[in-house]
Amino acid sequence: MADVGHRPLFLCLPFALAVVFLYCCTPRLPVDEGTLVIGLPGAPSSIDPRLATDAYGTQILQMTHASLIRMDAAGNPVPDLAEHWEERSPTEIVFRLRERIRFHDGRELSSADVRYTFAWILDPANRSPHRATYETIQSIATPDPRTVIFRLSEPFAPFLAGMVRGIVPAGSPPAGYSPSIGAGPYRVDDFQQDAAIYLSRFPGYYGRAPGIERVVVKFLPDSNVRFLELKKGSVNFVLNGVDPHLLPAVLENENLVMEEAPGSNASYLGFNLRDPILSDVRVRRAIALAIDREAIVRTLWEGHADPADSILAPAFWAHADGIPLVRHDPSEAGRLLDSAGYRDPDGDGPTPRLRLTYKTSQNELRRQIAAVIQEQLRQAGIAVEIRSFEWGTFFSDIRKGNFQLYSLTWVGIQDPDIYHYAFHSGQIPPQGANRGGYRNPELDRLVTEGRREPSRRKRKEIYRKVQVLLARDLPVFPLWINRNTLVRDRRLSGFVITPDEDYTYVRDMVIDGNIPGGKGGK
Amino acid sequence: MKRYLFSRLRQMVPVVLGVVTVVFLLIHLIPGDPVEIMLGESALAAQKEELRRELHLDRPVVTQYGEFLFGLVKGDLGTSFRSREPVLREILRRVPATFLLSAASMVVALLIAVPLGILSALRQHSLFDHLSGFIAMLGLSMPNFWLGPLLILIFSLELGLFPVSGYGTAGHLVLPAVTMGTGMAAILMRMLRSSLLEEIRQDYVRAACARGLSRHAAVVRHALANSLIPVLTVMGLQFGALLSGSIITETIFSWPGIGRLTIQAIEARDYPLVQGCILFIAICTVIVNLLTDLLYSRLDPRIRYG
Repeated sequence: MADVGHRPLFLCLPFALAVVFLYCCTPRLPVDEGTLVIGLPGAPSSIDPRLATDAYGTQILQMTHASLIRMDAAGNPVPDLAEHWEERSPTEIVFRLRERIRFHDGRELSSADVRYTFAWILDPANRSPHRATYETIQSIATPDPRTVIFRLSEPFAPFLAGMVRGIVPAGSPPAGYSPSIGAGPYRVDDFQQDAAIYLSRFPGYYGRAPGIERVVVKFLPDSNVRFLELKKGSVNFVLNGVDPHLLPAVLENENLVMEEAPGSNASYLGFNLRDPILSDVRVRRAIALAIDREAIVRTLWEGHADPADSILAPAFWAHADGIPLVRHDPSEAGRLLDSAGYRDPDGDGPTPRLRLTYKTSQNELRRQIAAVIQEQLRQAGIAVEIRSFEWGTFFSDIRKGNFQLYSLTWVGIQDPDIYHYAFHSGQIPPQGANRGGYRNPELDRLVTEGRREPSRRKRKEIYRKVQVLLARDLPVFPLWINRNTLVRDRRLSGFVITPDEDYTYVRDMVIDGNIPGGKGGK
Repeated sequence: MKRYLFSRLRQMVPVVLGVVTVVFLLIHLIPGDPVEIMLGESALAAQKEELRRELHLDRPVVTQYGEFLFGLVKGDLGTSFRSREPVLREILRRVPATFLLSAASMVVALLIAVPLGILSALRQHSLFDHLSGFIAMLGLSMPNFWLGPLLILIFSLELGLFPVSGYGTAGHLVLPAVTMGTGMAAILMRMLRSSLLEEIRQDYVRAACARGLSRHAAVVRHALANSLIPVLTVMGLQFGALLSGSIITETIFSWPGIGRLTIQAIEARDYPLVQGCILFIAICTVIVNLLTDLLYSRLDPRIRYG
């Protein structure tokens, strides 16, 4: 027996050697080496601008691809590849491209590439999910290499918002997981599906050279891991990816700072208006009055959100001011339920006035929000059963109208035409997002008028009326608009937080004294 | 031996076919429309119908199943709805990461289980034995979603030894392998301990000692090999499970393995990819089990196939 007594020490030797070896190999922090490491909460399903639909793919494309125009922080169109554009008529828009723009592979970008990109999307054989966005395009003419003329079948005010689409070289095959070539400030060096994408500064970029040479985007679906990566410094930039309750802990790291700016992602409670109970606006309003949004924002969002009066953020140009915010008022909720015929059968007793089901995804925060709303509605005499499903099943139920209450978030709203998509009676699924089945001829008229009206001033007035109408009818109850929270290394600067989380501004970032256009730049 | 091998390979076919059939039916039964997911809500009804036709989703499930089997015979697993790449290519891209993590986890499990299992058996009822029993219980009780972040906290944040997550270097492999290997180590350790204890009490060990062989030599040269047979069975089963991926560990460490691919394919209702992943997992499991059975005869001359 004694001869085996020293074995554990012997067995520990390889471990010790491995630890020493790996310790010696541990690299310095990326920020010290001039690398920006972004943590995204998920991996993109595609990084081809003609196919990408998810937020993560879009955010990567904002760094790698240039589009004809882009939106500034206030939602106004500003030039990108097009140095200017002109609306010759409501159905004819002419774009003039900048000179000497190059793709990452060195080819010169011309009007033919722009035509190819949109023609590819419009070709039914290519199954692009963006085809419906450009359905009004009747023809694309390219009289010379720098001019692109779009002719529309009818006036379509949201057309310009649709021009924020990365341009690919003519003849580019659809790229599955192989990144497509763009003309943006960063080019793709390597893409490890589900792990990370590696970008480097594109020396041929038409604009000011990006301030940071290398950008790594890590796909980190686990929120605890995003937190730990930030703490360690191996990730130095996370926009809206840290759980609100972890923010104080992450900021204990003296290298990290937090910035907050208005956001545009609007969470809402959806009602099924085909349901006999919820077809009554008094019940919908009673539910809205029974929900204490301030309490939810304060506790679950730790104050990083604001109660909403509309699905448009207050800073958005089409947002209507002066719509009264629905305030928490349980006694008024009770009165409305009484008048709708749902009297409290036993006063403070356990029997509810009515029963409803609430569907949500399996996201932990969404489930917590559902539980709080359940309790708040219970206090108003409404018994709510929560059913949480895996995303595919949940969304399928919502699309089929198989729900009473549900909660979702509108992300990336760039044009008030969202009201046509989400509330026009012709947009009840299978085509469109009017999932609750709201029908109002007056709203139909307004949103149709709004998408045909070229004047922004007149559109603002049209959409003000739309928002007043929706605040009265409550086909959905806007819950809150999340603020955008950026946690970054304090040595990083220059990023502008836009309401729609635009990553284009990564190109303006610098590390300490690393001046844009300096070493390695143009 | 050859006859046995062929017979086992023949048996594999209905097993794999059964698994694939059940998965095919299940994925078509659960709610969720791949066309809706691919084209989004704004797509026109005609567009959706067009795509449904193109993907053959408008055909009866039996016809789709027949087409799938026909493709399988030709070695064609179809094209992923989501990425538009051949399913086989998608899977093969994940194979290196999956095998690497599975093998490393198994190595970690064996590095922990074998010495601790042997020492526990040799020092039965000692403090060391009780301690290793406690460690085994701890290893079994710790869920990966808790152990993973804990290891990151200690070895990555506090000690700065390994990267938090990612894929590509030896350092990236250590923490996920330890996370996945710990639970398995606990099972293997207890299995080895009890199996070795049984062997140590056999007459042939006593006889070897009586002939002047040291207890250590008798155990290592004779008892250990015999005690490994039940351990090998468990190892085979566990390795098969490892190859099917661990969605939790892969998610925590952003490891691009087959587990995450399968879950993403299910979420996107990417039918060909789901079927391809399950087929890969089923074949791996069956092959590992077969290899385990074949290894028996190498370890124990009394076991003969034929």
